[in-house]
Amino acid sequence: MTKKLLMGNEAMAFAALEAGVRVVAGYPGTPSSEIVETVARLRSSGTARGVHVEWSTNEKAALEVLFGASLAGARGLFTCKQMGLNVASDALMSLNYVSVRGGLVLVVADDPGPISSQTEQDTRRFAAFAKVPVLDPATPEQAYDMVKAAFELSERFHTPVIVRPTTRVDHASAFFELPTVTRARPVPEEGFERDVSKWVIFPRRAYEAHGEINERLPEIARVYATEEPFASFNPCGVDGIAGIDTAASFGIVACGISAAYAREALRIVAKRAAAADLELPAFRFMQIGTPYPFPEEPFATFAQGLSDVLVIEELDYVIEDELARWAGRTHASLSVHGKLTGEARDRGENDVDDIASRIERFLGLSGRLRLRRRAEAQDATVAAPAVPAEELPVRPPVLCPGCPHRGSFYAVKQALRGTPAVLCGDIGCYTLGNAKPLDAVDTCLCMGAGITMAQGLAVADPGKKAVAFVGDSTFFASGMTGLANAAYNGHDITVMVLDNATTAMTGSQPHPGTGFTLMGVQRPPLDIEAVLVANGFRHVYHANPLDKDASIVAVKAAVAFEGPSAVIFESPCVQLIKPDEPVVIDTEACTGCKKCITEIGCPAIGFNPAIEGPRSGSRGQSFIDPALCNGCDLCTQICPFGAIAFPATNAEEQQGDAAESPAEEGGQDA
Amino acid sequence: MLRNRLRRKGARMLNIMLTGVGGQGTVLAAKVLAQAALEKGWHVRTAETIGMAQRGGSVVSHVRMGDQGEEVHSPLIAKGTADIIIAFEPAEGARMLPYLSPEGALVSATTAIQPVTAALSSDPYRGARVIERLYGAFDAASGRLTIVPDEAILKHVGNRKALNVVLLASAIDTGRIPLTLDDLRAAIEACVKPEFVEVNLKAIDAATGRE
Repeated sequence: MTKKLLMGNEAMAFAALEAGVRVVAGYPGTPSSEIVETVARLRSSGTARGVHVEWSTNEKAALEVLFGASLAGARGLFTCKQMGLNVASDALMSLNYVSVRGGLVLVVADDPGPISSQTEQDTRRFAAFAKVPVLDPATPEQAYDMVKAAFELSERFHTPVIVRPTTRVDHASAFFELPTVTRARPVPEEGFERDVSKWVIFPRRAYEAHGEINERLPEIARVYATEEPFASFNPCGVDGIAGIDTAASFGIVACGISAAYAREALRIVAKRAAAADLELPAFRFMQIGTPYPFPEEPFATFAQGLSDVLVIEELDYVIEDELARWAGRTHASLSVHGKLTGEARDRGENDVDDIASRIERFLGLSGRLRLRRRAEAQDATVAAPAVPAEELPVRPPVLCPGCPHRGSFYAVKQALRGTPAVLCGDIGCYTLGNAKPLDAVDTCLCMGAGITMAQGLAVADPGKKAVAFVGDSTFFASGMTGLANAAYNGHDITVMVLDNATTAMTGSQPHPGTGFTLMGVQRPPLDIEAVLVANGFRHVYHANPLDKDASIVAVKAAVAFEGPSAVIFESPCVQLIKPDEPVVIDTEACTGCKKCITEIGCPAIGFNPAIEGPRSGSRGQSFIDPALCNGCDLCTQICPFGAIAFPATNAEEQQGDAAESPAEEGGQDA
Repeated sequence: MLRNRLRRKGARMLNIMLTGVGGQGTVLAAKVLAQAALEKGWHVRTAETIGMAQRGGSVVSHVRMGDQGEEVHSPLIAKGTADIIIAFEPAEGARMLPYLSPEGALVSATTAIQPVTAALSSDPYRGARVIERLYGAFDAASGRLTIVPDEAILKHVGNRKALNVVLLASAIDTGRIPLTLDDLRAAIEACVKPEFVEVNLKAIDAATGRE
């Protein structure tokens, strides 16, 4: 056993391996991706023995692979982000009726904010809709315990179980004691056992199964109430501040990471009250870590004698609903406060400061504390240091320096100059093609939707050329059905496949087009052109996005064809390749026209009004940041004055920095 | 040598915030700090920005240590409670000032990273202007602001990727964190691949003028 700093996601991977998981599958999506990656890393290092791990083509494929394994008696772990469960929902809804054999745990990572997502959907709500138990961790440690417990629960009740961390649990780190070796639990000797009355879903069987689900859910709620470790997932009280006062009339209930924030907020409120000589009203505190099926018994004990309860949760008002329902059914005179009453944030992330002020208001302290704070503010002589926000540059995420997508978007925009068109974007790094100056994304919905939305636009608005962008990973994940639809229904669209040989936005995961697998075996990569052709795309062009003129020619040819056509832009993601030497700007030749900046917006090109040159006068000049430039060579094709070039042809401008080789350990975030 | 001039009110967390631009190496720096805290036997939590913002956006790492035996609940630092903000880029440091505690300190790199949006505008962002504003915002006598001449130090070290260690060493050298340069050296040896230890140790010496 050694102690190591682990992210919540890494800790959950360890928990599953320690629980003997045999098959692990998922599709990358922030904030969930590190779980599968950790299992793969531990497998290849020899720590995790006997486990099969894969990035599946998409979430639906992953969950179905795992369900098959479960029927053979293997324990399975599924991972995705919240919207991934939408893709896998068809399988989930039905497999819950069929029931599982080997334990099947789904880690579905929600993303309040949202920080890297299209929706703020709440997987606790989804679990209740699917009638599947869900656990909601507040810390990486709890996430670890919950994944282990989920496997036990799953096998005992033959139900899939969801563990629902959020970003701040997935990407928060704490220290864990770790085993040196884990072993997958062997599948039973007989393997899959045929039983048509059980494993084949029919309406009659579904009716029976629905009854079994309805019977097991209340039993699971009782397990939550009475058995460890589940009972500990709904703890009461806050260390240091009682929070379990029997005389209290106020109750505070918090869920997930908000429980950690609330514990800290309560410390702050207690300290502020003490500083102001105010008595903290008696209150009780409870975390609900097992939201569905709702653990009524422990809550009823907690709520005894309370008149008011404040619910602090992120995303939906799931527990608030449960409490209101409980109060109604039991005729308890309990007022439930939260999102629905405007007393908690209705969306986005919670934080300690906000929760502290809401708790002060709830406990009736805020008026007196505000007076106190106002008096303190008058006493304070030194203002807190600050720089006005409007003086700071905004810094939205952008395509990396040298990103090949920049060339693809630029070529499409140039080729379509003067042609009315709609540019349908999709999910991935290339959503960032929306940023100025490229400004090349008109729509974005969900994985693979660009290809099919373009078809609807082509039908309804034929005066505009319908163009869809799709990345190589998204292409395989959910682009192919859209291709077949275009060919079958004869839609006039052009698909721009941005093939950078990886799943880039989520941290460079392999996919069917790369042939690399997490089991260390190289398979023949699936050929994107062959897939296009097989799906009825007869006009397919290839282009190197970093070759501007050839790319424009390819786009023009593809768009001119009436019917389904495609351009495959091939150039690897800059995160995968060794950078080339940076280009330099010839200060003698630069006119300060800024075209290199206003056309392609590369982060490695800046503008300095202080640089003077014979052709730029006092206008200023562009400059290349050699630490960022990786020599993609696109800007040299943009500059109308030939002022940007590799140092070999520009020897007097050569800079010492160019020769430096980056040392990997210094700071690769991704 | 521990020169802990930091007086934090009552028993509460030691909060260290690392802020910069995606790709600058705040994640590894947070890991090194956590390792140093572990070796002290303190409870520690960290939180990272992972995802879209890593593509050149603003990123923040939170490191929270219970250096007086407290349990850390939240992985995120609340406003007005950061004991030290270590900024890998001056505007990113300025942006996070609302998180600084009334006694807290800012240690910032000098080198600015210009976002595309600023290059496109008629009034490009200049790091020197932000640094001027920072000098104006802090009382010079308080010792709460340290601007690190990172470019010269890194040129001396010979590796730009050592920025994170240069800043950590500079932060510890202020004497405002109850960690020593030896703690930092030990944590680096535990966290970093053996072939990169030497350059990082060199960065510590260069940053603290011990060469």
